[in-house]
Amino acid sequence: MSSSAMKKKVLLMGKSGSGKTSMRSIIFANYIARDTRRLGATIDVEHSHVRFLGNLVLNLWDCGGQDTFMENYFTSQRDNIFRNVEVLIYVFDVESRELEKDMHYYQSCLEAILQNSPDAKVFCLVHKMDLVQEDQRDLIFKEREEDLKRLSRPLACTCFRTSIWDETLYKAWSSIVYQLIPNVQQLETNLRNFAQIIEADEVLLFERATFLVISHYQCKEQRDAHRFEKISNIIKQFKLSCSKLAASFQSMEVRNSNFAAFIDVFTSNTYVMVIMSDPSIPSAATLINIRNARKHFEKLERVDGPKHSLHMRMR
Amino acid sequence: MEDDCRPLLGPDPTGESPSHRGSAGSLDIRTKRPFYVEPRNIVSDDPQERISAEAAILNSRVHYYSRLTGSSDTMLSPPNHVIPTAEEMYVYSPLGTAFKIPDSEQAVKNPSIVTIFAIWNTMMGTSILSIPWGIKQAGFTLGIIILIFTGLLMLYCCYIVIKSPKAIRGVDTSSWEFPDVCRFYFGKLGLWSSLVFSLVSLVGAMVVYWVLMSNFLYNTGQFIYSKFKHDRNVPFICPYPKTHPGRNDSMTSLCGSSSGNDSSGSSFDHYWSKTSTIPLYLIILLLPLLCFRSASFFARFTFFGTISVIYLIVLVTIKASHLGFHLEFHWFGPSQFYVPEFRLFFPQLTGVLTLAFFIHNCIITLMKSNKNQENNVRDLSLAYLLVGGTYMYVGVLIFAAFPSPPLSKDCIEPNFLDNFPSSDVMVFVARVCLLFQMITVYPLLGYLVRVQIMGQLFGNHYPGFIHILVLNILIVGAGVLMSMFYPNIGSIIRFSGAICGLALVFLLPALVHMFSLREQGRLTWQSAFFHSFLIVLGVANLMAQFFM
Repeated sequence: MSSSAMKKKVLLMGKSGSGKTSMRSIIFANYIARDTRRLGATIDVEHSHVRFLGNLVLNLWDCGGQDTFMENYFTSQRDNIFRNVEVLIYVFDVESRELEKDMHYYQSCLEAILQNSPDAKVFCLVHKMDLVQEDQRDLIFKEREEDLKRLSRPLACTCFRTSIWDETLYKAWSSIVYQLIPNVQQLETNLRNFAQIIEADEVLLFERATFLVISHYQCKEQRDAHRFEKISNIIKQFKLSCSKLAASFQSMEVRNSNFAAFIDVFTSNTYVMVIMSDPSIPSAATLINIRNARKHFEKLERVDGPKHSLHMRMR
Repeated sequence: MEDDCRPLLGPDPTGESPSHRGSAGSLDIRTKRPFYVEPRNIVSDDPQERISAEAAILNSRVHYYSRLTGSSDTMLSPPNHVIPTAEEMYVYSPLGTAFKIPDSEQAVKNPSIVTIFAIWNTMMGTSILSIPWGIKQAGFTLGIIILIFTGLLMLYCCYIVIKSPKAIRGVDTSSWEFPDVCRFYFGKLGLWSSLVFSLVSLVGAMVVYWVLMSNFLYNTGQFIYSKFKHDRNVPFICPYPKTHPGRNDSMTSLCGSSSGNDSSGSSFDHYWSKTSTIPLYLIILLLPLLCFRSASFFARFTFFGTISVIYLIVLVTIKASHLGFHLEFHWFGPSQFYVPEFRLFFPQLTGVLTLAFFIHNCIITLMKSNKNQENNVRDLSLAYLLVGGTYMYVGVLIFAAFPSPPLSKDCIEPNFLDNFPSSDVMVFVARVCLLFQMITVYPLLGYLVRVQIMGQLFGNHYPGFIHILVLNILIVGAGVLMSMFYPNIGSIIRFSGAICGLALVFLLPALVHMFSLREQGRLTWQSAFFHSFLIVLGVANLMAQFFM
């Protein structure tokens, strides 16, 4: 039975006010309407039918803490919520004053995961770290990480510290995506070969919906350490503009006397960005190379069979 | 980004897609966004970085996040602690030069004289018109004593207000105002009570403004009309003559609802009546102004207040020099033309003075921009001295110059300009100046009320046109009702002064001061007794207003 009949989920959970909606909006380039700054909790799940890593659907839930109505609703819907989960991303607000309660709700979510989707991967994000003083951030994060790892047994959780005001959010989600791609090491090796063959300066592989960098190859040191996030922001803004015209972004070429950059669809889950610093190589050549590589990489994804490939997982 | 691939001048495509709903309009966002170019020189290998990497990536983030919400939504706005310091910020010109932002800290520091003037300017309000009446109510000698005493008392309370944020340890209080200090000590109750009483003073001021504006507009119309009738010029008039000189002044305004002089009952008087029709005419002018979203336009006219006060002082001097002094000292008993030197109605003066010397809700902000902070106390004292001196000058001169043999001192009106006939040219100019000044300050006050109420109730300064309209109708309605049925500004001023003074001048500052002293372990018996006595004075001030 193909799982395309039942979409796998990415659960984004956490206490109300921990920053999930902002995070979702920033990572997936969704517009936040003004009335989203609400005075109460999310009453129902916020679906977001984004094709994240294939056919995953993003579900956003407020977890715990508001009132008995929410508690009851949550409990009665539990199985529904936690079935078919591929990834659980749990967001903690580092400034929260109710640590005990937060951990308690986290544990109950884990129990539900263990019952309904025991193979799910669990990630914990300790969010809003910009509100902690810089010299204390590592300490506080280490403390939280230890607690979370201890509480999560027998499940294994990976912890990140994040803030929307520095690069940690982008890096954390990139790491999450990196861990979810089944054959990523193989992809990287192939990517390096591809780059060397076409004599590119740098080749990047992006996830399709979020432009998070999955893997990259560079042949020499680059100046700007934040270039991945900048490119991601620029392209997401461009996608927002395109959506105003009901158009969708497919590919882009940027060229001047010093370089040529190509962004194009690659596989069903990814985009590729190729940067050539030799402007004498004609665009057509690079584009043909990319097209041929595309076929090769798509085969890579399919070759690993239904056991690994994300969009054909059988349950 | 889209600006790069679209001509800058072109028809605006209707942004009807879901990505732009709820904002103030896509055109609005576009006109507000600056033209931006990534400052790195992408053509040549320029080794010199003009902008630090952190600032560049933060700029990219801010740019992107601003696309995700409406232009007025602050959900994804960078908080202060993530914005780079001034040294790392550059203003980049597309032509290649980059300027550093000058250190903004220096720009706002004012020398002492400017601070003193700003405090004087802010405190000088319409209560100056009621000071002669207040002195008359308390008796000449007692009035002067009370003016000095109340001024000193309120100066002390102001001093403990500006000291209060500094006494708080462990928290950064540099952006706090007095309500924040109250919230620190007394929680939500402290915050709400300081806000509510601050609102009382604002709404009281707005009601007084409406009454005064009706008055000035009426007199302006009368002046122009009387120019056609060639009335004889009397220097002073007693608009509501009474048979008993000692009678309570607040009763007089209930008699005589139309103009005192022209009793012809002509159609002009029918349509141009101080209490029946003019308050309603003002609604047409002022209600739309109140509904403006932003009040910054009206803030440009604050200099008018200064000019009006200076003109009033000049006017008072000239009138006094024309008429000379008419003072007789009858110490305790009443007489036909004069009032006793010591009267039992003195709480009315204290009520008026509480509002006249009131600045406690914004003194911290005003003092913050003083260049030499160690001179704050000295500058505050000088400002109070100047304000007290101005009030004393106007009050004493008007009281002394009031021509007592033909008229009784008891005739001095709560608005002393009412004692001049409509046909007096100098006073006409004063009324026009004050009318214009009030028309420009009224929307500012309305904006302050709106911001405080809407901010606390809805968390948003402009939750919707209906909310704003309802609030404005309530405020305007209060003003109109007062103008029509009880236009005695003396009473309105003393009641609102006593109410907001109780909380913001006496009760909360004294409590905050005692609490902070106790925390530091420096609360002595004398200090506790003295500050509790201040609170008792505030309560007594309010209670006494009801018995007058």
